[in-house]
Amino acid sequence: MSLPNPATPVKLVLLGEAAVGKSSLVLRFVSNDFQENKEPTIGAAFLTQKCTIGDRTIKYEIWDTAGQERFASLAPMYYRNAQAALVVYDITKPASFIKARHWVKELHEQASKDITIALVGNKYDLVESDEGGEEEDSLRKVSIEEGKSLAAEENLLFFETSAKTSYNVNDVFIGIGSKIPSASSTEAANQQSHVSEGRVDLSGGVNNRGQDACPC
Amino acid sequence: MAFFEALRDRAVNTINQVLDNKKSDLGLSKDERFCREYNLPDGEVILDETAAEIGIKHERVQPQAQSQSQSQAHGNNRPHSNSSANQLDILPQGRLYLTPHFLVFRDAFDRKACSFTLHLSTIKKVERLPTRSYVYALSTTTHSRLIITFYLVGVRPESEKFAHNLKLSLRANLPNVSKLQPFIQTLYSEYLLSKNNVSLEKVEEVPPGGLGLKFKFPGNAKDSRDKSKMKLWFDLLRTDGRNLSVIKTPMFYRLVRVGLPNRLRGEIWELCCGSMYYRLDNPDEYSKILQVNEGKQSLAKEEIEKDLNRSLPEYVAYQSPEGIERLRRVLTAYSWKNPDVGYCQAMNIVVAALLIYMSEEQAFWCLNVLCDRIVPGYYSKTMYGTLLDQRVFESLVQETMPILWEHITKYDIQLSVVSLPWFLSLYLSSMPLVFAFRIIDVFFLQGPKTLFQVALAIIKLNGEELLKTEDDGTFIQILKNYFQTLDQSAHPNSPNEKYRAITKFQELLVTAFKEFSVIDEDAINKHRAKHRDTIFQNISTFVKRTELRNLPKTAFTQEALSIIYDRFYSMVESYNVTMASGSSLMDFKAFTKFMSEICDWCYAYEDGDSEKGSAGELSNPIETSFLKRLFNHWDTEDQGAITLSDLVVGLNRLTAPDLMENMANFFELYDHKGNGKIDREGILQMSEDLLYITTPWKEASLLDSITERDIEQVIADQIVKQKKQQGSDTEGEIIVPSEIDIDDNEKQRLINQQVERYLSGASTFIQRAFEYAQPQEEEVLLEELSITDNKISHNAALNPNAPVYINLPTFRMVVLADETYELLFSKTFSSSIHVDKPLDSKFKTIRNLRDMFDGLLADGRKVATQVRRRMDSAASNAKHNSGNNSSPDSASLKSAKKEEEEYRDDDFGVIAIDEKDKDLLLGAEAQVLTDPVRHKTTGSSSDISKFHKAEAEAEAASHSPRETNLIEFEHD
Ligand SMILES: Nc1nc2c(ncn2[C@@H]2O[C@H](COP(=O)(O)OP(=O)(O)OP(=O)(O)O)[C@@H](O)[C@H]2O)c(=O)[nH]1
Ligand SMILES: [Mg+2]
Repeated sequence: MSLPNPATPVKLVLLGEAAVGKSSLVLRFVSNDFQENKEPTIGAAFLTQKCTIGDRTIKYEIWDTAGQERFASLAPMYYRNAQAALVVYDITKPASFIKARHWVKELHEQASKDITIALVGNKYDLVESDEGGEEEDSLRKVSIEEGKSLAAEENLLFFETSAKTSYNVNDVFIGIGSKIPSASSTEAANQQSHVSEGRVDLSGGVNNRGQDACPC
Repeated sequence: MAFFEALRDRAVNTINQVLDNKKSDLGLSKDERFCREYNLPDGEVILDETAAEIGIKHERVQPQAQSQSQSQAHGNNRPHSNSSANQLDILPQGRLYLTPHFLVFRDAFDRKACSFTLHLSTIKKVERLPTRSYVYALSTTTHSRLIITFYLVGVRPESEKFAHNLKLSLRANLPNVSKLQPFIQTLYSEYLLSKNNVSLEKVEEVPPGGLGLKFKFPGNAKDSRDKSKMKLWFDLLRTDGRNLSVIKTPMFYRLVRVGLPNRLRGEIWELCCGSMYYRLDNPDEYSKILQVNEGKQSLAKEEIEKDLNRSLPEYVAYQSPEGIERLRRVLTAYSWKNPDVGYCQAMNIVVAALLIYMSEEQAFWCLNVLCDRIVPGYYSKTMYGTLLDQRVFESLVQETMPILWEHITKYDIQLSVVSLPWFLSLYLSSMPLVFAFRIIDVFFLQGPKTLFQVALAIIKLNGEELLKTEDDGTFIQILKNYFQTLDQSAHPNSPNEKYRAITKFQELLVTAFKEFSVIDEDAINKHRAKHRDTIFQNISTFVKRTELRNLPKTAFTQEALSIIYDRFYSMVESYNVTMASGSSLMDFKAFTKFMSEICDWCYAYEDGDSEKGSAGELSNPIETSFLKRLFNHWDTEDQGAITLSDLVVGLNRLTAPDLMENMANFFELYDHKGNGKIDREGILQMSEDLLYITTPWKEASLLDSITERDIEQVIADQIVKQKKQQGSDTEGEIIVPSEIDIDDNEKQRLINQQVERYLSGASTFIQRAFEYAQPQEEEVLLEELSITDNKISHNAALNPNAPVYINLPTFRMVVLADETYELLFSKTFSSSIHVDKPLDSKFKTIRNLRDMFDGLLADGRKVATQVRRRMDSAASNAKHNSGNNSSPDSASLKSAKKEEEEYRDDDFGVIAIDEKDKDLLLGAEAQVLTDPVRHKTTGSSSDISKFHKAEAEAEAASHSPRETNLIEFEHD
């Protein structure tokens, strides 16, 4: 295992309601950048990023889709042959969580059988400050438990992220990467238990500097 | 919820779009095609047309002596007179069309050589010129002092007719003329001329315009030589007229192609695409729409809110509330104006771009024309047009660049990922704004083919590079780089300075509009026609899948749901398309038609079925009453229409397999107040509806399973008799003959028996229902009284003024006391609703008697069992003759009855009857025992027996003192 393995290409598709932050997650992952007013994705965008997990290098071919309802009929074109999917919702928008459920169903029914799906609740930064405080005026509208239980029900990876602060973003892609079939099962299991803790400290192990080299 | 609604709408919209599109190829009328070609508002019709030569002269308005020159010019106006020296040497020849609001001319040889669309309101004066005998000439003067002379070619009466029609149209249009003055005040061209004192119109104020006026226009005005362009336009406006009366000459096209000057851009856009005419015709509509819908919420509004800050965020105006507000208003107004489209992402970018150059009102109308006419289906709920045009684009690439196409398919590169945003956002999200605007200039002038021509040119110019790529990533990267370097030299290494000066963007335009000029409207439409059906199929499959997945859980199979879905939309479509409504809600009429297709007991008139009723109307009012009840009950949102999900849930309940549940569901239909009570009126309606529902059996057009069983028995008896006569063995296989002769009288007897059962079922139902109905006010009192007390129940039933009610247990009891009605709820009714009946199948409810008997024979197994049973019992148990039956073969009947008993017990059992019901059965006793039908019907005593048991128990109990008795039975 001394020689670096050639990068395994992994086709990954992002699905989720409009403005939940799909493009922002990708932008964070690919360029470690964030834009306050990102234009909506028209149709789909395509980006690539390499990512090293252990001794494996994965080349993500990322298909970032448009979130608005009416673009949904285009989606099959993009999730065709995808090995991995991020189903993203906004933890401050309950409707986006309903939509996420729908996408999970759609993927289970229509996408390739062994697709690895991660459920991602984004915009964690918006609720960070009042986390632990009273529920009443919290911006959070989808509890972490709801997310977890959907993930458990449907056998998905689960993360809460912030594209803005970059909280947990890389972990999503590492998590997916470890779960992709060729990875050893123990590794995948470890990864999963690690992330489902919920809050994962970014400084611990995951370095998110660097633009060109993959941060993972 | 909004999500499902959107999906529901989708299917219908798709269908409508397809119909629309089909029409545009096949059935578009001459007038419709004419309107499209000249960008006239829909509804204009050609009133008259003629061949004509035209002479154009502009009466120069001199700053000081305006009025003077006007009168002089007119006096001098003679065809071919000297004063026309500055006219074109060769007079344009072409066709002149008259519509209610326009006078349209196009050059016969080349439309671009000379064409105009004069709004009749701009015509100030029309004079008949004294001419030589062979010409008939009319001189018209426009508000912009353009003098256009028409020399009508043709026979004189025709010319006179045209002149007459023109006069009539002008008169009819007079009320519109008042709109002109205020409209002129909104046009920058008028302001420009007025300010330079070369117009008779006075426009003092700068007309409302785009955000660019305040926040600066994108790009460098000096680089784009905005001033020079403005000067050229100034000259053109003076000589060729402007806005509503402009004459388009080759200069006009040239000036559009070199890029419009900032201040005139918005006006020329709306002129080119024809949205100006809509704005003129509907001066208050924009503000009214906003006003009327103020404060209303909608899905589109939510979606718009999400994107307001995400629309050209780099342009300063959209970092200020003013820009955001305008964007919000225009997008929202459009979403109200055309709810079928609502809001689609990419529209935010397009409108943000329009608003830089246009006022809100201008942008609003321009958006309307864009979405509804130029690129219909691009932004609609299914995005049908977008998907179709992407496919068309792919086949155009394949056709024009086969090698590259082969490469693209070989490496499975998704071309449309790249190209879809080009089309949908009119290149605004792909290339620097200044370049996208240049393309849009041409787009509004030439239509959607522009988008294809540019897209093909982009691929072509990058072809060599693209051939080297093997994955989507690099493919996309190459094009991204290309767009970012459009301002650079196309030939940086050329020794020729002129060559070096050509930018990539210029090269792109030349390639697009020269090389790909063959890709015209016709070519595109041909490709569209080729792919239309596939695209439609894909969309409908997707929509259907999604919608079916989101339906509430029911007992229906996927196949059944799929059929319900198809039938639902076939109804909704056929009813709403004709009404030009895009909703996917089912109204009552469509519901009626739906039910009549799947229910044995519901019959609606077909088209042209009868003079009495129009299609979809029911043949009798009682039907309406029951269906209306179902419909209202299923209409969960109280909107006078039901959704697919309402329908599925409703049908699921209507066909519930469980007897008790079925009765409860039926009861609920009449329980308006939801308090578990049905009043007198309700009972009456219920009885009537039951009578209606049971029509097919009551009229013996269908047989229920009691009759079927009886027939089987008769047949079996006959076979046994035959066998006995032949003296054949009782062992061995029983072969059911394919045909058996049953005495016609016997048949008729069985039929009559059924008819009678239903009639008696109906009459006993109402009788008992009232008998056991409880007085409304005396509820408490009644609880303490035995309901077997005939005095009270009779009083209640007989006194029409005493309010009474029945509750669910009573209803159940009344139903269960009658075998036929019990069977109705356990089987007959639910099996008369064929939810999974294929759409195209046509079967008639009314079958003839012969068929019904033969049908039973066809299922020989059942009859064979019956025969076997008879043979067996006859052999082993011949001595057992029970004397209470007049049947010829009582032994076998008895054994059959036993079988039946077991069967019945398995099926419904006494289990489902709760204590309350049992108690209520007490009173049924007398009725049951004296029920004539019951005694006549063979084999019916089995299921009665279980009630008898309950009755016996109850009867025994009723002999004990009333109080104790009641406490035990009335216990909840
Ligand atoms: N506070 C906060 N805002 C975010 C975060 N991620 C995205 N946003 C903002 O949310 C908006 C939408 O983000 P996008 O990444 O464009 O969303 P999208 O899911 O790609 O949207 P579509 O392309 O329309 O489907 C932008 O204004 C982002 O700046 C986040 O983690 N926190
Ligand atoms: Mg996006």
